[in-house]
Amino acid sequence: MILEPVTYKGGLYRNDEIVDLIEDVGGYIIQKQMVATEVVIQALVPRDDIALIREVAKPLAGEITPSPLVGTEIAVVTPSLEIHHLPHASCDVAEYIRRFGAKTNMVGLARGFGKRIAQLNDEERDVINEHDLAIYLLGDFEECIRHKFPVLRRGIEVPIVVSGGPSKETLQKIIDPPVDGYVGEVGRFMHRTKESEEIDKLEEVVAEITRVVSKKREEIAKDPLSVSPARLMDIIREQVEEIHRVLSPTPITVQMTGLRVKLPYDTFSTVLKKLEIERGVTIGDLADIRPSRMRDYILLKIRPFSDTNIMI
Amino acid sequence: MDSVEYFEVECPEAAGKEYYRKIADIVLLDHNLIRVIRKLHIFIDPRVPLFIAVGVTKKLPGPVKVRDFADVNIQDRQVTITIGDEAYLAALLHLLWEKFGKERVDQPDRFTILLDLAPEEQAGLEDLVVMDPSVTLYKDLIYALQVIQPEGFKVRRQYYAGGKFYLVASEDTLPEDIEDLVRRKFALMGEQL
Repeated sequence: MILEPVTYKGGLYRNDEIVDLIEDVGGYIIQKQMVATEVVIQALVPRDDIALIREVAKPLAGEITPSPLVGTEIAVVTPSLEIHHLPHASCDVAEYIRRFGAKTNMVGLARGFGKRIAQLNDEERDVINEHDLAIYLLGDFEECIRHKFPVLRRGIEVPIVVSGGPSKETLQKIIDPPVDGYVGEVGRFMHRTKESEEIDKLEEVVAEITRVVSKKREEIAKDPLSVSPARLMDIIREQVEEIHRVLSPTPITVQMTGLRVKLPYDTFSTVLKKLEIERGVTIGDLADIRPSRMRDYILLKIRPFSDTNIMI
Repeated sequence: MDSVEYFEVECPEAAGKEYYRKIADIVLLDHNLIRVIRKLHIFIDPRVPLFIAVGVTKKLPGPVKVRDFADVNIQDRQVTITIGDEAYLAALLHLLWEKFGKERVDQPDRFTILLDLAPEEQAGLEDLVVMDPSVTLYKDLIYALQVIQPEGFKVRRQYYAGGKFYLVASEDTLPEDIEDLVRRKFALMGEQL
């Protein structure tokens, strides 16, 4: 069963029916947001059933659109959180990626500014490595990018997309060894993106990220995960009562190969480890549970089939 | 930037030059500084790295005195100041509090200030300087230039006098001949430091 990431947008009226339908056909709700009289549901649904959901949603004036980035957590890395790099470029990009279903976290480096003096510390490196992908928003000068990017990427193991002021070709030329994606002509700017060509640039960022994410998905499909992260999320939601008391918008964040569970590690890591998925198989059998460098959250990485020999 | 007589950005990188032209334009517009700048030359060399901004301001209005925005009536010890332009009221109140103490400054309504002053204290009240636009302008200008400059350039030298200003910034120690460089940039605009 191939699960397709989608976003459903519709009115509050009878939205339960859509939720039930998605669950009945074997899909998973990743996030449900109620904004005034509107409801936005990000979900993974079986590809064959999208037409059915669309049909049911029609009389409710609901709309279902493909969202390639649902179920991914992306780090938006910016050299600093100063006015020079915020709020325009970084916030606009982070916000725009969210529209396509990704969960974005802004990572503002403590000492990422400057050319010679730029640094990346171990905490920042580990936090970035907890994500599915990192998009680096760099500045306008190729000389600076050439000089400082090797420092900013040191130890980063997740796919990287670089954006900066110089053209895409220039970025490709100056970055060595190559990264997974490039977006040119999105550097430092001091205004909100409003004009159509600026929005087109943001579209380009999303397209590049989608391309890299799809490539990673294909790689994962070659050696599939022992259990789907979305299913694991459902199990935790059903069996761990405390998760419903977490006030964060996404108490469990779905990643491509795991989950970020926003419960304290010391108290809940053993609880999660012993949680039964099916017929005596516990989460601990299929996934590595480790403390996240982000607050005291729990990071859950699902092991592939080749490692566990179990697939549920 | 049409109202600015001279505006150039000098940079070895063509793309960077265009971006910084736009950045400078937007920042100065946002900070309401375009109308006070007459000439501006920005030089950025990311290889050194070095950022130099030199410029000339337009002729500024002189210091604002009490007589420019208020009427002062003196009857024996009672001084009544009637405010015409509220923009300077807060600054004036602060000055009066500092000079005479809060208990002697009474403000029965928004546009009236009453003071109880001895005759020798009353002299020169109308000529009291409430605000000097050039002082705030200097701060605003330097702040705006710091926003324009690339992030991370923490070593800075700034100057403002006689309508001319410059800001030099780098992440390394500034070169010794920096003043000569600044003078050369002024010469490009047809000015002398």
